[in-house]
Formats: sequence, C-alpha cells, structure tokens
Amino acid sequence: MKKTIRFVLNGYEVTAEVAAHKMLLEVLREGFQLTGAKEGCGQGECGACTVLVDGLSVNSCLYPILEVEGRSVTTVEGLLGEGNRLHPIQEAMVENGGIQCGFCTPGIVMSAKALLDEIPLPDEARIRRGIGGHLCRCTGYVQIVESIRRAAEKMAAQGERDS
Amino acid sequence: MKGFDYFQPGRLEEAYGLMETLGAEAGYIAGGTDILVRMKQKIIAPPALISLRRIEELARMGRDRGLLLGSMTPLRALEKSEEIAASYPCLSQAVGSLANPQIRNVATVGGNLCNAAPSADCAPPLMVLGATLTIGGPGGERTLPVEDFFEGPGRTVLRREEILTGIAIPERVPGTGSAFLKLGRVSQDIAVINAAALVIMEGGVCRTCRLAVGAVAPTPLRLRGVERLVEGRRPDPELLAEVERGVRGEVNPITDVRSTEEYRREVSGVLLRRALEQAVRDVR
Ligand SMILES: Cc1cc2nc3c(=O)[nH]c(=O)nc-3n(C[C@H](O)[C@H](O)[C@H](O)COP(=O)(O)OP(=O)(O)OC[C@H]3O[C@@H](n4cnc5c(N)ncnc54)[C@H](O)[C@@H]3O)c2cc1C
Ligand code: FES
Ligand code: FES
Repeated sequence: MKKTIRFVLNGYEVTAEVAAHKMLLEVLREGFQLTGAKEGCGQGECGACTVLVDGLSVNSCLYPILEVEGRSVTTVEGLLGEGNRLHPIQEAMVENGGIQCGFCTPGIVMSAKALLDEIPLPDEARIRRGIGGHLCRCTGYVQIVESIRRAAEKMAAQGERDS
Repeated sequence: MKGFDYFQPGRLEEAYGLMETLGAEAGYIAGGTDILVRMKQKIIAPPALISLRRIEELARMGRDRGLLLGSMTPLRALEKSEEIAASYPCLSQAVGSLANPQIRNVATVGGNLCNAAPSADCAPPLMVLGATLTIGGPGGERTLPVEDFFEGPGRTVLRREEILTGIAIPERVPGTGSAFLKLGRVSQDIAVINAAALVIMEGGVCRTCRLAVGAVAPTPLRLRGVERLVEGRRPDPELLAEVERGVRGEVNPITDVRSTEEYRREVSGVLLRRALEQAVRDVR
C-alpha cells in the first residue's frame, strides 16, 4: 500500500510517495537523505532517532509515516542558522564536551530544543528529565547536562539583548 | 518489520467497519509505543493497522462533574494538566513516572490500559480513583469499572471490533488524599512494582480506603482484603504494619527479568504502606 503525503519538513512544504508501513525515521534517512536522526535501538529506548513533530519531541523510529500528513517535522538539519552557523545548543555541546562519538547527539539536541522551547531556564533535575529518553555510551551525561545548562543561559542572555 | 496496510478512519463507525472487513489479524493503533515495539520484535505481524489518531471525539478531555478523558488523550496532556495534579495526584504522579518525554508525547492513556501489561502505570491510580471505562462497538456502548477490564497479561474484555472510547473519573470529595509510588531499576522505567493508594478521611479515621498494585499478579490488582482492614481505623503505626503483612498475603507475583517473586512479595508490602502514608499526608 503506497500513499502520497504532504507535510512541512524543516520549514519546506514537501510531498512524498511512501509505503504505508514505513516509520518516519526511514523516510527521513532514505527518502530525504537527512541522516542526522540515527537508528540505535529502533524500539523507543535510546532516543537517537528523536525529531520534533509540531514542536514536540518524538521517537521517529516509532512514528508511522502516514501520521505526519499535514504536520511539521523538524530534524537536527533544520536547526542550522544562516551561513551554516550551529544552533546555540549545538555550539554548547561542542564547547563543553557534550559530544564524543556523536551518535546520540542529534537526538539529544532535539530533546534539548523541545525542553528549552518550553522551559527556557530549566534546573538540573528538569534537564535530566528532559533527556531521560536518551542513551549515551560515551559521555557519562554530566557534560551533556552542563552543555544544555550553558546553552539555556546563553540563549536567555541573547534573548534579553535582542528584546 | 513486515509490510502492513495502514488505515486512518475519521469516525468510530468507520473504524469498527474496517476492523470487521479486515479480519482477525488487523489491529488498532493508538500512540503505537507498545504495538509497534511488539511488531519490531516480531512477536506479532498484523497485516493491517487501523489508526485511532484521526478520530477527534477520542482525543477530548472534558468535565462532567468528574473528569472525562478520551482514550486517545496523550500522556503528555495528563502530565501537564493542573486539574489532574490538584485533584488526582496519584494519576499525575503515575504519568510523570512513565517512560520519557518522547514516549509521553505520543503514548495515550487508553493505549496504556488496552495494552494490559500487569505493570501498566495508569492502571493502579485509575483503579483507586474509581474510574469507569466506556467501550464502543458496532453493537453499541457499554461501561464498566476499570478493575473489571483486565483479564490477564495483554488480555482485556475488549471484543475484536471494540474500542475503548473514554475514561470517567468521579469528582474528588473533600477529605480525599491519594498517592502513586513505583519501583523501577532506574527512574522512568517499566515498573518492577507500582502501587496507588486513596483514602477519604473523617476526623482522623479512614472512612474509605482503596489500594491497587501492579506487576505482582497477572493483572493490576485491587487489594480488597487490606482495604477492609484499614477502613474505620486510624492510620497509626500498628495498622501500617498490618497493612504491610496483609499486602504480602494478597499479592501473587512471579519471577521475571525485572525481579523475583520473593522480592516483589516483600517489597509490595513496603511500597503499599508508603503509598498509604503518602495518601494520608495528601488529605485536603
Ligand atoms: C521506551 C519505553 C518505555 C516505556 N515505559 C513505560 C512505563 O514506564 N510505564 C508503562 O506503563 N508503560 C511504559 N511503556 C509502554 C507504553 O508506552 C505505554 O503502555 C503506552 O501508554 C501505550 O499507549 P499507546 O497509545 O502507545 O498504545 P499502542 O501501542 O498504540 O496500543 C497498545 C495496545 O492497545 C490497543 N489499543 C490502544 N488504544 C486502544 C483503544 N482506544 N481501544 C482499543 N484498543 C486500543 C492496541 O491495539 C494495542 O494492542 C513504555 C514503552 C516504551 C517503548
Ligand atoms: S532508534 Fe528510536 S529510540 Fe532508539
Ligand atoms: S557521544 Fe557517543 S553515544 Fe553519546
């Protein structure tokens, strides 16, 4: 069973012909060559596949592709600013050792984005809850929490300057 | 995962009709966080899924004296609800302890019940809150108390075409307190044991007590024997010790990958006692 779907992907209206049984992750990686979201477990445990759907973080490995019809999907590629500038969350991850092998990073960045969009200055407990759906084999998490905290502070300061 | 067809009806009648024509192996899908995992693990391979996400009436949250939850209400909405936090703390605490943000953003309260895991975190709180379920099907609607819904691990009273449509929670009465506690290997994990307690107090005496526990029997369990022990008495240390012993006698746990029978029996007593203490402290 094939179907044509329309949705917004990183700000652009897109149309795709998809097999009904595909998950969003496969279509992003194989159909759109957006390989930022990764397949770790494929079963909702690791968070490597995390993207935003209508601003909420979801595991794209468990998100049936036909459910994105009419919705807006943001992947880590969609965070890139003008002139290929990294997003402040990405910058903070690089600067504070929140990234080692990098496999978990795109997913964690998206969860951090969803968290900071909702709570601009979360305390450590909130940050840890916010990334509770991610596994990282490298960093030990401490640097990731620190990166998100720094990113939040920087973005809040930036926001004040801009307003 | 094997290929499958995917249908997205907009109305309940359409969904029942699809299920009738698609045959025995088709399945309903809500948030998909249980059923898709089972498909990926090749435990089941339905040739067709019928999604309930486009059926608007299932996604409503409303009031009718108590609280009405459409079965498709995402757990995130329950977690964010100030009304649930204020009036039904045990439910709020259960949802807050369930999985992680990505799962809560898509998983539904109805899916948690219909999946019928003995460890389902929404079951014990809804049981002690006295929730009633509405089930729809081609032949019409029926309602039943949530504790009559479960038949065994993964089994409920739902007939093949039937859909759990709504959950009604009675209005909170003054003097009520409730609490949910869960033991997992790590936080926000599938429960080794979970427990909910609700009390209605009058002048220091417990007039009504409801206790429920999960993952210690084939279905989530109401502990009626222990409840009778508590009702009409003051929650003093002596009674709490009796509760602990009573619980151990009433549960029926098994050994599995998460824990052993002995451990579950021992600790379910402790967990229920603590839940009861916390419920008494919550009384307003
Ligand atoms: C990483 C991870 C962690 C998890 N942690 C927890 C946890 O801590 N606690 C916990 O309790 N659960 C946990 N779960 C299990 C799961 O997320 C929950 O049970 C969730 O609430 C299921 O809801 P759903 O909408 O995704 O259900 P689905 O997977 O869509 O459906 C589950 C089953 O119920 C049926 N169904 C669903 N809705 C209806 C309906 N309205 N009428 C009739 N049948 C219906 C489906 O056919 C299916 O068989 C976890 C899952 C994952 C992947
Ligand atoms: S790949 Fe989706 S959660 Fe692990
Ligand atoms: S940096 Fe390697 S898994 Fe997280």
